[in-house]
Amino acid sequence: MKANIKELTKGIFKENPTFIIMLGMCPTLAVTTQLVNAIGMGAGVLFVLLFSNIFISLLKNVIPNSVRIPCYVVVIASFVTIVQMVFHAYLPSIYEALGVYLPLIVVNCIILGRAEAFANKNTVLDSAFDAIGMGIGFTLALSLIAIIRESFGAGTITFFAIGGWDGIIKVPFFNKWPIRVMTLAAGALLLMGYLKAFFNWNTERKARKAEEVKA
Amino acid sequence: MKYVKTALILAAICAVAAVVLATLNMVTEPAIEKYENQKVLSALESVSNGMDIGDMKTVDGDAYVQYLYPLTKNGKTGGYILGLSSIGYGGELGIIASFDTDGLVMNAILVSDSETPGVGKKAEAKGYMDKFIGTGSDSNPVPTSKSMLSDADAAAVSGATITYTGITKALKAGSAYVRSL
Repeated sequence: MKANIKELTKGIFKENPTFIIMLGMCPTLAVTTQLVNAIGMGAGVLFVLLFSNIFISLLKNVIPNSVRIPCYVVVIASFVTIVQMVFHAYLPSIYEALGVYLPLIVVNCIILGRAEAFANKNTVLDSAFDAIGMGIGFTLALSLIAIIRESFGAGTITFFAIGGWDGIIKVPFFNKWPIRVMTLAAGALLLMGYLKAFFNWNTERKARKAEEVKA
Repeated sequence: MKYVKTALILAAICAVAAVVLATLNMVTEPAIEKYENQKVLSALESVSNGMDIGDMKTVDGDAYVQYLYPLTKNGKTGGYILGLSSIGYGGELGIIASFDTDGLVMNAILVSDSETPGVGKKAEAKGYMDKFIGTGSDSNPVPTSKSMLSDADAAAVSGATITYTGITKALKAGSAYVRSL
């Protein structure tokens, strides 16, 4: 069980897919203009990643090595289509909120990356924990970037609308004088650079500390 | 023989996926169709300004206007609802807009699009189309450029100019179409 928990937590911090492994950069930069988009995309990726990891781990001894990537793509695309059809039919409000991000999950390289790097070599249980950890790590990373970009760039933080509440929190100062570049592509790249630099510094600092303790 | 086996396994996985998706499609299709019809109906009702909606007529040969519904009040024609199509940043924009008999915009909704969430997608928000209401005459034309908007409205469409231009082109064409009737 301890090993399973390790598989779960590594995706959140030590091997965070966005800040450490640097996977799924296209959706990360595209969807983080609002917090609500980041949460929606993260939830969709978590769901598809969990089921694709489970099925690929189950089929790892059946799938021939030479056609493993096409097989993974078929499995992943099928789960995304299932999610899309079920949401469209029975949860239309979530379907509308996620919009174009639902089909885009097919090309999210975190899902194919985890299938190739983890699920096809490990047990079903470990693969499921890996998927949950990576999905949560991706959602948290997206949410952090979105909060910063939306607060500075639009002066708001947008959640899902609940009942009469429109889900929008206004950020003082930036609501009147937003730094618009933060909501554009250039702002996304700029912020991503700073955050990556911070996480690199943090990783190196921890490694140095560990070496000092060893010595 | 090895290649045949590999091909058969890949084909089997594809076949299973196709069967599962086809079955799910059969199950979900009625609910999806019902939802889409409901969406169009509620969009028509929300732009009708309380008038009665007549039968749909298809419009051929117009780059923007796809179909129209006549609006009547106390038996008299009070305007038209037009189904408009234009091009935005992410592809086709589907707009349902109502015009009075003089071609002035009464109401409009963006019903289908593939715009970027948080940017062009903001055009779906309640209130986005308010800036176009009452426009469409010679003295008060549809604002096809940001310079024709107030500072607040211009700031609201900033960063999503292609979406804005696509919508205004469709509304302008819709207004001209109604005036030509």
